[in-house]
Amino acid sequence: MTNTDPNTTVDKRGPRVLRREPGVAEIKPRAHVRNRKAAERALAIGVPAALLLLWQLAHHYEWNLLGYWKIDQRFYASPYEIVTSEKLREADFWRDVWTSTRRMLIGFALGAGAGVFIGLAMGMSRLVRAALDPLLTALYTVPKLALLPLFLTIFGFDERPRVMLIAVTVFFFVWISTMAAIMAVPEGYREAAMSFGVSRWQMFRHVLLPGSLPQIFVGLRIAAGVAVLILIGVELVIPSQGGIGSLIERGRTLLIPELTYVGIALAALLGLLFTLVVRWIGRLLIPWAPEDNAPGQG
Amino acid sequence: MTDTTRPKISARSVERVFAAETDNPVHALGPFDLDIADGEFCCIVGPSGCGKSTFLRIVAGLLRPSAGAVEVDLAGTSKTPIAMVFQDYGIYPWKTVEANVRFGLEVGGMSKRDAREKALFWLGRLGLTEFRNAYPDKLSGGMRQRVAIARALAVEPEILLMDEPFAALDAQLRQILQEELLALWEADKRTVLFITHSLEEAIVLGDRVLVMTARPGRMLESVQVPFDRPRTPELRAEPEFNEFKAGLWDHLKLQVEQYLNELRTVEEEGDER
Repeated sequence: MTNTDPNTTVDKRGPRVLRREPGVAEIKPRAHVRNRKAAERALAIGVPAALLLLWQLAHHYEWNLLGYWKIDQRFYASPYEIVTSEKLREADFWRDVWTSTRRMLIGFALGAGAGVFIGLAMGMSRLVRAALDPLLTALYTVPKLALLPLFLTIFGFDERPRVMLIAVTVFFFVWISTMAAIMAVPEGYREAAMSFGVSRWQMFRHVLLPGSLPQIFVGLRIAAGVAVLILIGVELVIPSQGGIGSLIERGRTLLIPELTYVGIALAALLGLLFTLVVRWIGRLLIPWAPEDNAPGQG
Repeated sequence: MTDTTRPKISARSVERVFAAETDNPVHALGPFDLDIADGEFCCIVGPSGCGKSTFLRIVAGLLRPSAGAVEVDLAGTSKTPIAMVFQDYGIYPWKTVEANVRFGLEVGGMSKRDAREKALFWLGRLGLTEFRNAYPDKLSGGMRQRVAIARALAVEPEILLMDEPFAALDAQLRQILQEELLALWEADKRTVLFITHSLEEAIVLGDRVLVMTARPGRMLESVQVPFDRPRTPELRAEPEFNEFKAGLWDHLKLQVEQYLNELRTVEEEGDER
C-alpha cells in the first residue's frame, strides 16, 4: 500500500533531522488494512443509521427547526411508523416497482444501444460527425421532459411515451461519452495497429472499442442514474398507469405519508441497484482498467 | 565512513515490502544501509525493479520504509530541503514553463514577485528564458527535463534527488544535459542522489557509484570514482575511463552472476522442500 501522507518526524531541538521510518501501516499492514476497512464499513452504515435516528427523534419531540418549521406528527411519518404501518402492508406497491423497473430497463436499453452506436460512428468517421454533430448538440440542450407532450401526442397514453423519454435522455449521455471516448484513444495505439495493416473493422475490434470501453461505461453509469431521475419525473407528471412515481403521488393525494416515503426509498434503491449492475457488467467487460469510483448519479 | 562529521543521509536496515497485507507480499528493497556525505554526488545503479526508485522515494518522504529508518541531517530551515526530479510526468502540462518553475517556490510560501525573479534566474541558467511563456507540450523532451531541473533547483534544496532523469532522452541530448548538470553541481556542490541504469552515466557524474542487486534490492558494491573534478562528459573518451568502467563491469558481472547463482540454489532448495 502506498502511504501518501508519511508524517516525517522533525526534531525541533538542535540541527533538524528528518526521520523516515515505518508507520502503523508498515509495521502492522494486515491489522491496518483490516481496521481501515472496518472503519469504512462502520461509517457507511453508521451515517444513514444516525440520520434515521435523528429523524425519529425530530418526529418524536416535534422539533421546531430554524424557529418556524415545526415537525407536525400529523403530516410527517417517523421511520418507526413507516416500518410498522398497517396501511403499507395493504398497499400493493410491488406492482408499481415492477412497472417502473420494466420501463427503465427497456428505455435504458434502447437509449444506450442507440447512443453507443451513433457515438461510435461519429467517433470513427469525420463525415458522420459533420452530418450529426450540430443537430445533436443543439438537441442536447433541450430539457427532455419538455418532449413529453409531444410524445403523448404521437404515441398516446400507453407505455411508449414514458419509455421513449427515458431512451432519449439516456441516448444523449451515452452518445457524448462514447464519441469523446473514441476520439480520446491515443494516436500511438492507432499508429501501432496501422503499422500492421489492420482493416477498419480490425481497428475497431482490437483498438478503438477496447480503448474506449472504460470511458463508455462511465457514461453508461451516469445515464443509469439519470434514467431513474426521468422515470420518476414522468410518473409524477402522468401517474395514471402506476409506477414508483405514481406511488409517491398517491401517498400525497390519499393522505398516506408512509406511501410517499416508501416510494422515495424505493426510487433510491432502484437507482442504486441499477448503477451497481451497470458497474458490475463494466467490471466484467474491462478487466484491465483500474476500478474508479465515479458516482452513478449525474 | 571514516569521516568524523555526520553523514547527510544515513539509511539503516531500510526495507520495503509492497502488498504486505496480502498473501503475496513483494519484498522490493533491503535490508539496505547507506551513508551519504554532505556535498557528495552519489549514483545508484541497478537492474530494473531493484528498488532503487523505492529507496529514493523513501528518502524523499513519499513512501515510508517497512522497517529500518532513514535520517536526513539538515542545516537550514527551508520548507523544501529536498527536491526531486522525476523521469516523467514531473512537470505540469497546464502550467507554462515559468509557472512550473515558480510552483515549488509559491507553494513554499514565497511571494509571487520574488518567486518570479528567482524562477527567471534559474530559467536563465538552464537556457530556458525565451521559452518561459510556452507550455511544456510545445517543448522537446530535453527542454522539458531542463524545466524539471530548474524547478527542483529553484527552491535551493540541500539535497537533490534524481530518478533516472535522462533515461527518456536520446544519447546526444543525454550527454549535453549531463554536462549541464555537472556545471550546475560544480557551482554549489549540493548533495545529490542520482538513480540511473547506465554505468557510464554514473561514472561520469558521481563521486561514488553504488550498485544494487536485483529484487530485493541490496547493496552489491560501493566504488569511489577516481577521476578529478571538474569533469566533462568528454571524460568518457579517455582510456582510463574505459579501463575503469570495464574493470567495474567485469567485477560486477561476476558478482551479479554469483548472486544469481545463489538465488537459484536458494530457489532449488525451496523447491525440494
